[in-house]
Amino acid sequence: MNLPRIVGGATLVAALVVGWPLHGETPDSAFVAGFERFARHAEIEPVLAGRLLLTELNCTACHRSSEASLQPSGGPRLDGAGNRLQTAWVREFLANPQRVKPGTRMPDMLATLDGPERAEAIDALAAFLASQQRAYPEFKASGARPLPHEFWMKGNVERGRELYHQVGCVACHAPDPDYRGGGGQPSTMAKLLATLDPEEIEDLGLAAAVRPVQSVPHPKLAEKYTHRSLMAFLADPESVRAGGRMPNLKLDLIEATDIAAYLLADSLPASGELPASGELPAASEDALVAKGRELFGSLSCVNCHATADPPPATHARPLEALQPDAASSCLAEATAGMPRFSLDALQVESMAAAVSALQDAPRVTPSGPSQASESETNAERLPLTLLQQNCLACHERDGLGGVGPERQSYFETVAHTDLGDEGRLPPPLDHVGRKLKRDWLAKVFAGSGDLRPHMQARMPRFPAAVVKHLPQAFLEADAPDPPQEVPQLSAAEGLVEAGRRLLDTGCVQCHPLRGESLMGAVGVDLLGVTDRVQPEWFHAFLRNPAALKNRTRMPSFFHEGKSTNPDILDGDVDAQIAAIWMYLKNLKTARLPDKIEEARSQQFELIPESRPILIRTFMQTAGPHAIAVGFPEQVHYAFDAETLRLAEAWRGRFLDAYGTWFVRSAPAAEPLGEDLVSMPPGFPFAVLPDAGAPWPKPDAASPEFLGYEFDAAGVPTFRYRIASFEIDDRIEATADQGLKRVVAVRAVTRDTQAEVSKQAQAQEPSGQLWFRVHAGRALTASETRCSEPGGVAVRVSRGVQRTPTPPELQDHGDLREWRIRVGAGERLEVEYQW
Amino acid sequence: MVSRIGTFVATFALSLVTTSMGLARDPVEADFYEIVSIQTSKTLQNSRDTSWKPAPNDLALEVSGIAVLDEDRVAVTIRKGEIWILKGVFDDPPENVEYQPFASGLHEPLGLLWHDDAFYTVQRSELTRIRDRDHDGTADEYRTVAKGWGVTGHYHEYAYGPKLDREGNLWLTLNIGLGLKGEQLTRTVTDPTLGVSQGRWRGWGMKVTPEGTLVPVAAGMRSPAGIGMNRQGDMFYTDQQGNWVATNTLHHLREGVFYHHPEALASMGQPQSPIAGITAVPDGLPYPEALKRLPQMRPPAVWFPYKKAGQSPTDIMLDASGGKFGPFDGQLFVGEFTLASIQRVFLEQVDGEYQGAVFPFRRGLDSAVLRLGQGDDGSVLVGLSNRGWSSLGTASYGLQRLVWSGRTPFEIQEMRATAEGFELRFTEPVDPESASDPNSYQFSSYTYLYHANYGSDEIQREGLEITAAQVSKDLRHVRLTVPGRRELYVHELVASGVRNSQGTPLLHPEAYYTLNKIPR
Repeated sequence: MNLPRIVGGATLVAALVVGWPLHGETPDSAFVAGFERFARHAEIEPVLAGRLLLTELNCTACHRSSEASLQPSGGPRLDGAGNRLQTAWVREFLANPQRVKPGTRMPDMLATLDGPERAEAIDALAAFLASQQRAYPEFKASGARPLPHEFWMKGNVERGRELYHQVGCVACHAPDPDYRGGGGQPSTMAKLLATLDPEEIEDLGLAAAVRPVQSVPHPKLAEKYTHRSLMAFLADPESVRAGGRMPNLKLDLIEATDIAAYLLADSLPASGELPASGELPAASEDALVAKGRELFGSLSCVNCHATADPPPATHARPLEALQPDAASSCLAEATAGMPRFSLDALQVESMAAAVSALQDAPRVTPSGPSQASESETNAERLPLTLLQQNCLACHERDGLGGVGPERQSYFETVAHTDLGDEGRLPPPLDHVGRKLKRDWLAKVFAGSGDLRPHMQARMPRFPAAVVKHLPQAFLEADAPDPPQEVPQLSAAEGLVEAGRRLLDTGCVQCHPLRGESLMGAVGVDLLGVTDRVQPEWFHAFLRNPAALKNRTRMPSFFHEGKSTNPDILDGDVDAQIAAIWMYLKNLKTARLPDKIEEARSQQFELIPESRPILIRTFMQTAGPHAIAVGFPEQVHYAFDAETLRLAEAWRGRFLDAYGTWFVRSAPAAEPLGEDLVSMPPGFPFAVLPDAGAPWPKPDAASPEFLGYEFDAAGVPTFRYRIASFEIDDRIEATADQGLKRVVAVRAVTRDTQAEVSKQAQAQEPSGQLWFRVHAGRALTASETRCSEPGGVAVRVSRGVQRTPTPPELQDHGDLREWRIRVGAGERLEVEYQW
Repeated sequence: MVSRIGTFVATFALSLVTTSMGLARDPVEADFYEIVSIQTSKTLQNSRDTSWKPAPNDLALEVSGIAVLDEDRVAVTIRKGEIWILKGVFDDPPENVEYQPFASGLHEPLGLLWHDDAFYTVQRSELTRIRDRDHDGTADEYRTVAKGWGVTGHYHEYAYGPKLDREGNLWLTLNIGLGLKGEQLTRTVTDPTLGVSQGRWRGWGMKVTPEGTLVPVAAGMRSPAGIGMNRQGDMFYTDQQGNWVATNTLHHLREGVFYHHPEALASMGQPQSPIAGITAVPDGLPYPEALKRLPQMRPPAVWFPYKKAGQSPTDIMLDASGGKFGPFDGQLFVGEFTLASIQRVFLEQVDGEYQGAVFPFRRGLDSAVLRLGQGDDGSVLVGLSNRGWSSLGTASYGLQRLVWSGRTPFEIQEMRATAEGFELRFTEPVDPESASDPNSYQFSSYTYLYHANYGSDEIQREGLEITAAQVSKDLRHVRLTVPGRRELYVHELVASGVRNSQGTPLLHPEAYYTLNKIPR
């Protein structure tokens, strides 16, 4: 049977319920996650396991090594210990690290001191640490950063509990047995495993896949931290633990506060702040602090922990010069000045093996660490780095690691979308160095490579120093041997368009493209994929996804090397993949695939089907008071409700409302269709003293917009007022793809006159009302029709006949105007064609 | 097997301990005011994202206006430009809410009023009356009641309202535009002396008379997202921190007053402007000093210290429930956008001018609080939308309801200035021992810088000593003697030592009193 190693959680959760010691486990030796998970079960070599302990237990902080990969993980910075850690806890921890925090990596530094000496040392060290005060960073609130006053005191325990179980904390730390949120789906493999008994599992070599992963222990957090200090630590772990073993899960301050509130929920009074100084009388304090500082150096605390004003450090014999079998050492029978580690036999053996191996095959010349990189390749460093940073807690590589089986149910998709394991679990790292480009890998480790909005778990950010070699390490380790021929991806004519069509045949079903997607499609947005992924891998993956990624939901569109689209690019598979690549390379500006365009229009395009649609918005031509009206006849117009002008008209598609409805910058809406035409300029009515008077300047006329009403057909009639006239203006599409406008003029009655503002009354001109039907530079007119070359043609007829007065064509400066006199009670019909 | 049972028992015991501790805890807001969700967006998107979208097939219930129609029906405007009528929102639980579309095609309406058998809403460019004349359930008449303020096309030119006063005037407020450019500048007016340009009446509070006349009332607003009337019938507005606005504020809205944002004075020379003669604006002075230099400027009735009393206030709602919403009848409630919460304001008049205190009230709404509306049952509908900015909470938009549980929270109900200090009224009898101990109270005072920069730190901060705390016979009042108060400064009180007769601390020990005037 070809059974992959990662399994889902259902079986194991079932097993847990009956008592696997996941919760409340108390390690009695120093806990190093990679060692417990892999070395204990002989899944990694003892030398590698020992090397891991040498860095994680900080052996190399005293016994220095020039090997780059053996640099110590370091202890937490203590320069803020005084206002971050509770002094009582610090004292107890110093007195007995392993009892106060079972599994701690800190050795007992006072082991070889006798009783009174030991008590004095604790007093002095505690006083020194209490004097280490570091101001918290200023957490500034802004419109983009909601931050209540003293927000760290206002955590939401329930939200914190959810986040703790969702974002990835439980990849390493213990889940809460009472947490009910973990609804992750059991995988097919988990269901299968549930049918096997332990012996069968063993026989199939699947023991590692079902073995629970022990949790990285916490101390009693409520005794150690305050709400504020734990929040600050969670929000920026690197500020305390520079080694990045606790990576940054990119929590915002509110999230960090909520998780801190959850972790401290059982604490009694929620104290936000610690007193600014220790508890001792000030007079004795200075001397005590000085003594503590001295001890901090002589006991070698300073070798692991940074402080303000640190005492000088001294170092012990270099790592390469140690005798693993010495009768007395830190590992066994510690004598004066040595720390006492809590180690078991396997840990001691592994470390001895690692030191012996160094001595057998010294990698580095005595001249120093500058040559380290020459002697140890990045690829060689990789396995140790993956263990040190515990990448394997989440990611599987070469059959090792991945989210522990009993923890997988906590890894969920947003809104429980079923995307299979690859939608909820961190991706395996097999051949990731062949897949991803170096720069992209670097971005991912730096914490800015988030691509999976559907995944609750987050890829953490690691300190630059501990991951800077990783992109190159993956590239070297995974380089194909011999190097693969990269299919030529030429930018041949038409390739982009072919790619666009190809995307429509499958990719768009799952992948959004620059934020646009089919309804319900959830996956990785392909924008920028050509900057992330190596072309060779892309090509191979598209040809046969399953060959590169077990159980992927990515289907093959080139089954048995044949394209499912023989009509595109003659069915040439390489050419089609090249076309997809080229399209994706241009995705930022390229037209979207038709299906996505359709999906978008379904959501945001206004499509008048049986009745007109009216929307008020900003438009370029119709201005910031625009009213756009679309008709089922596929003829549409925009009316400027400020100048009261029919501004423009077009045919085809009407309008995309997305910008108007949902974009903060309130962009001008653009007509979607074609045949866009500008309508005659200006407000078309004026009261003129005589027929030949110049048309008033735009701001001299002061018409008043009164709104609009819909008739039974849903056609709006605009109403406005000029001088003592009220005008009803109804514009609708015609069957012959033009617009028909009916203008009815009424004298303002006594009642409505009362509503006219004083301002309008004051400016009321005298004379007769004229309708400027058309205006342009090159108008030609017959008795009833007037047109502008290349512009709109207007035909006018009177609805209610009185004395027929045909429109007049007049020249005013370089503008020709076609005017007609109208009076109260009259009705004009105007048709526009273009 | 034994160890397995042991694990189980231990877990069970632990949960028992947790529960019993939970019962002994201090009261929290949710004990007194329950949040009921009527509808909220299913996921939280980054609301500042340029490709923000509502959830697919979701009614984008970005509530921007609330009009309670009767004990069952509520109408809301939503930001995309629609009016919906919701039935069943007061059901408990609200499981069968019906949504009826009523009007559409509006341009970002930011308020809704039901008045004289019609809806009134302020869109970006006008105040509109909307009616359904043929009674088919959807609007067919959109009557322009007033327009004429400048709209340059800049996104920040939001227009809010209307709210009705006792004379039948409809009030609206107009945001300032920010950094206008290009074609937008062709749509501005300019004050040549001050060198400021804005769309006409931008940064002004306006009223529309029952006859339909648009009247400019007061100037100097920046982002006046909330308007409201108090029980006496006076109008107020809230403003948001930014350039020239040191922190969020509540102002008495009345004629001829200048508040703070000088770009509003671009319209000072327009006919009808009730403000004239401002030729220079001080920049970079402590606020009390700036007031002396600029007599037209009136101080806010209440400063809302940044973060402590929110980051961006919105709607103003008078609790007119007569006690159905708890012990704060007659006080004002102010929505808070960024922190998804609601503040409470107590106002009093000293020498005819309003001043008072803001108190934290309720946190934990699901998104930015944009609008508030009180139902007949006293409960408060809370309209949510955080698009374009950010907020706490797990949703981008929605409608929730805040319901009083019937339990009285131990709160500072009222805070009044006295000639010697302050008088506090509590919602419950206090424990006389703690309440008469001056050490139960911490006082400080501070002010802000009036300047063109974005916001201001608290400056000239001083701690104040309380020399006496005198508890009244009915145990409901405490008179504090506080020497060294300063007029026009914010006086911050944290009464963390005060207990009620059961020994419970205040639900919110903080109060921020703006002491414009010390009563004589």
